[in-house]
Amino acid sequence: MMQRDDKTFGVSPLQTLGHATARIDAAERVTGRAKYTADIQLPGMLFARVLRSPHPHARIRSIDLSKARALPGVRAILTHDNCTVIWGAGSVAGGQQYSDDIKKITKQQRRAFNNPVRFVGEPVAAVAAINRHVAEEALTLIAVDYEVLPFVLEQEDALKPEAPKIWPEGNIALNNRNEPLPITQRRGSVATGLQQSAQVFEQRFSTSFVHNAQMEPRAAVAHWEGDKLTIYTPTGGIANCRHDMARDLGIAEDKVRVICHYMGGNFGNKNQNQDADLITALLAQEAKAPVKLELSRREDFIGMHGRWPTVHYYKVGVDAQQQLTAIQLRGYSGMGPYRKNSGAMAGVELYKCPNIEAVVTPVHTNKTVSANFRGPEYPQGFFGIQSMMDDVAAKLKVDPVEFAIKNMTRLSRDEVPYTVYSLEECIRRGAAAFDWKARWRSVPGSDPGPIKKGAGFTYMVFRSGLGQSSAVVRVDAQGQYTLFVGVTDVGGGAKTTMGLIAAEALGVPLSQVNVVWGDTDTCPFSVGESGSRTTIMTGQAVVEAVRDLKGQIAAKGLPPAGQVLTASATPRPTIEGRVRGAFGAHFVEVEVDTALGRVQVTKYVAVHDSGRLMNPLTAQGQIQGAAIQGIGMALHEQLLYDARSGKPLTPGYYFDRIPTHRDAPPIEVSFIETDDGLGPYGAKAIGESGIILGPGAVANAVFNAIGTRMKDLPITRDKILGALA
Amino acid sequence: MTRSEHELSRRAFLEGTTVAVVAATTLNVDLGAQSPPTVAIAVESQVPRTTIRLTVNGVAERVEVEDRWTLVELLRDRLGLTGTKIGCDRGECGACTVLVDDKPAYACSQLAVWMDGREVTTVEGLARNGVLTPLQQAFIDHDAPQCGFCTSGQLMTATAFLKNTPKPTAADVRSALAGNLCRCASYNHYVDAVLAAAGTGPVRGTGGAQ
Repeated sequence: MMQRDDKTFGVSPLQTLGHATARIDAAERVTGRAKYTADIQLPGMLFARVLRSPHPHARIRSIDLSKARALPGVRAILTHDNCTVIWGAGSVAGGQQYSDDIKKITKQQRRAFNNPVRFVGEPVAAVAAINRHVAEEALTLIAVDYEVLPFVLEQEDALKPEAPKIWPEGNIALNNRNEPLPITQRRGSVATGLQQSAQVFEQRFSTSFVHNAQMEPRAAVAHWEGDKLTIYTPTGGIANCRHDMARDLGIAEDKVRVICHYMGGNFGNKNQNQDADLITALLAQEAKAPVKLELSRREDFIGMHGRWPTVHYYKVGVDAQQQLTAIQLRGYSGMGPYRKNSGAMAGVELYKCPNIEAVVTPVHTNKTVSANFRGPEYPQGFFGIQSMMDDVAAKLKVDPVEFAIKNMTRLSRDEVPYTVYSLEECIRRGAAAFDWKARWRSVPGSDPGPIKKGAGFTYMVFRSGLGQSSAVVRVDAQGQYTLFVGVTDVGGGAKTTMGLIAAEALGVPLSQVNVVWGDTDTCPFSVGESGSRTTIMTGQAVVEAVRDLKGQIAAKGLPPAGQVLTASATPRPTIEGRVRGAFGAHFVEVEVDTALGRVQVTKYVAVHDSGRLMNPLTAQGQIQGAAIQGIGMALHEQLLYDARSGKPLTPGYYFDRIPTHRDAPPIEVSFIETDDGLGPYGAKAIGESGIILGPGAVANAVFNAIGTRMKDLPITRDKILGALA
Repeated sequence: MTRSEHELSRRAFLEGTTVAVVAATTLNVDLGAQSPPTVAIAVESQVPRTTIRLTVNGVAERVEVEDRWTLVELLRDRLGLTGTKIGCDRGECGACTVLVDDKPAYACSQLAVWMDGREVTTVEGLARNGVLTPLQQAFIDHDAPQCGFCTSGQLMTATAFLKNTPKPTAADVRSALAGNLCRCASYNHYVDAVLAAAGTGPVRGTGGAQ
C-alpha cells in the first residue's frame, strides 16, 4: 500500500498544462457557428420521422402502409416487414457492448424494428418524406394492428413466477454465455461474518430510471454516395460508431464515414451507433437521397435509454469494535426488454470487510431500455451502500466520517494497492473545508425547524485505467503543427485537452497546434468518450506521437516547403500489481422545508484527486456539472410509469424535472493533484466521477436534517411530507 | 401512439390561437411577388402561406412562410440561422431563446407569421463585425458552455437581462436564467460569466480550480 502523507501530494508546474485555458472552439460555441448534427443541410435531403409503439408489449399482426405510401412527398417507409437489420449494440448478452464475439452469440437480438414490440416508444415504422410535416402526416396514416400482450414494469415483479415472459428464456437478462445468471462478487463467507457480528443491520433502498436528457435531441443525417455511407451523428466515439454501422449494414468499415464535429451532450451510451443512425442510413438507402432524422424530446426520453433503476437489499454486520464483519447485497436492476449494458451496482468494494457477497440480477421489464449513464453502475450503487453505512453509523451513534475512515479499505477491492492513494486526504480536506463538525448534527432531526438543516457525506473511487488509443501529429515547413485525434468532444473539452497535451509535449504554445477531430476519414482510432478515459488513453497516444515527431525533427530538421513530417502512435500501456484510481469526497448541507417538503442544497463541497489537471477550468466545470446532475437524481428526476397502461408519464423536461439554474448551488470544488507517472503527465479520470457522490450525500444530509431515512430516490416532496406526517 | 401526441397538440394549439393574427396579416401582403426559393425544405403547393416582413439581426427580410411554421423553423430552415437550437420544441428548455423586439422569447413557441413587423435577434446577431459582446467574451473566459447546445439560449436571455438589470446579484441571474436549462449543469460557470460581464464579479473565484 502506497499511503502518502500530506506533503507528498501536489505536482510540479508545467508550461502549458495545468493552467486555466479557454477552449479552442469557444468562439464557435458563443456565436452560433458551431454546427451540430441537426444543423447539417444537404441538397435534396429528406426528413424522417419514426412511428413508435403505444403499447408496452404487443405483437404486430399487420401494418397497412397503403395510405401513407399514397401521400404525396413520401419517399420511403421501413417496418419490420421490409427491414430485418439487427442493431448489434441494442441488446448484448452480458451487456458487453464492445465485444463483437459476444454480439455474435447473443440470443436476444434486437432489430431496428422488432415484432413483438416490448416497450412504449419502440420503433414500429420510419418514414422519409420531402419535409418534416409530410413525414409526420404520413405517420398518422400508418395503420398498425396490434395484439396487446401482458406486460410487467417493475424488476421484482418481473421475477415472480406469474409474470409475463418478455423473452422465451424468461426475464433474467442473459450473461455473456447466454445464461440467466446474476452478477456476483464474493469474498469470505457472509453467513459466518453475520454469525460473528455483534449487531446486524438491514435495509432496502431503490433508485429510479433517470434519463440522460442531454440538451441535443438525438439526430442523424445519412448520405450514400455509391456504396459509401456518410453519417453525421452526435456520437462520443466515431470509430466505434463506424465499426457498428459497418457490421450492422454488412459492409466494410472503409465504406462508412462518421462525422461529429459538435454534439450537445453525452452522459453515456453514445460510444457506439444508435438505432437512430441505423434507421436513417437504411431510409437514405431506400429513398436514394440524403435523410435527416431528428427525434423529438419525447421520443428521446422514451425511445433511447437512461440509467437503470435499482432495488437493493443490504445486510451489514459489525463487531463490538464497530468494524464491519459482513456486507451482503441482493440487488435487482431494471434493464428494459433489451440488455445494452451490465446492470451492475458498485460500492461494496469500498470497505475493509472479510466477508462480502453481492448478487445483482439484471431483469427485463417492459419499460424503456436502461443503459450506461455517466458512471454507469456507481451513483445507484453508492447511494445504496453509503446510505446503508450512514444508517449503520447513525444506529451506532457514531460520526459517519469517522465510521468511514475506520472501515474503508485503502486498497483497490481491498486487495491491490493504488499507484497513488489520496482518498483519506480527500475526506479530511473536504470535512475541514465544509466544517463538518459544525454542520453535522449528532442527533439527526434535532434542528427545531420549521426549515431543518442537516449534513451528509459520501466518498468514492473511480477507475482510471490505461488503454489503447491512437494519435497522429505532423509539422510543416513553417513549424505549424497539426494534431489528428478521433475525439468528438462531448462537452468535457477533449479537443482542447488534446491540443494542450500536444503543445506541452512539443514545447510550443497552444496556438501553434491545429487540432483536427471528429471525422473517421481524417482522424485515427480513438477509444471513444466513455468511461472518462479519453484524456488518459488518447492523451497518452498524443504524447507518444509527439515524441516520435520530435525525434524525426531532431534527426532531419523541419521539412522543406510544401512537405510535412508525420508521426503516429498507438500505445498499449499496461500496469501490473497496482491500480489507478480517481478519488473524491462530497459534503452536502441541505435545508428541508418541513411545511412544503422542499429540499434545497445550500452548501456543497467536492474534493477530488483526478491526477494532474490538464485544464483546471474545464476540470472544475466537469465536477460542478456532474455534482448538480447528482442533485437532480437525488431530488427530482424519474421516468414514472402508469401501472395500468404501462405508459411513461414524465417523458420530457417539465415533468422529469432536471435541475435548473435555481436548483444549482455553488459547487465548491478543490483538487488534490497527484502524478503517478502514468497516463499523460499523471492525468486520471474526471468527467464521470463527479456524479457518483451527490445522490448519497444529499440523501444522508436529508436524514441528518429530518431524522427519517429516505430510502427511495428521488426524494420528492411527497416522500418528505409522508415521512414527517 | 400516432404522431407524437404532445408536439401535435402544441402546434395545433398555437395555430388555433392565431387564426385572427394570420388573417390580419394576410391583408397586407403582396401575394404576387416572387419569394426566394427555400433553402432547406421542399414546399407543398397547397399549404397555406403568408408573406411577412421582419427584421432579423438588423437586416430587413421579406419572406414567404408556411402558416404552420414556428419561428425556430423560419430561422433555422428558411434563413439558415442554425445557431438557435431546438431542445424540446415545446417551451420547456429555452435552447431556442431569441429576442423579439428585445424581449426573450422561445422561438419554438411563436408562429413565424406572428413575426410580421417585428425585430428578431439571434445569437448570430450579437457580435458586430466579428467583435464579441462582453457577455460572449465572459462566456468564453469562464468556460460557461460545456457541450454548447443551450448556450445561444442562455446568451440571449442574459443579454436582455443585463440590459434591464445592469448590476445583478447571483440570485438575480439564477432567477432570470431559470427558463434556460443546461443538462451539462454548467450553471455555476454561466452565473459567473454573467456577473463578470456585468462587472459585479463572480460569486466564487473561478477561472481556475481553487
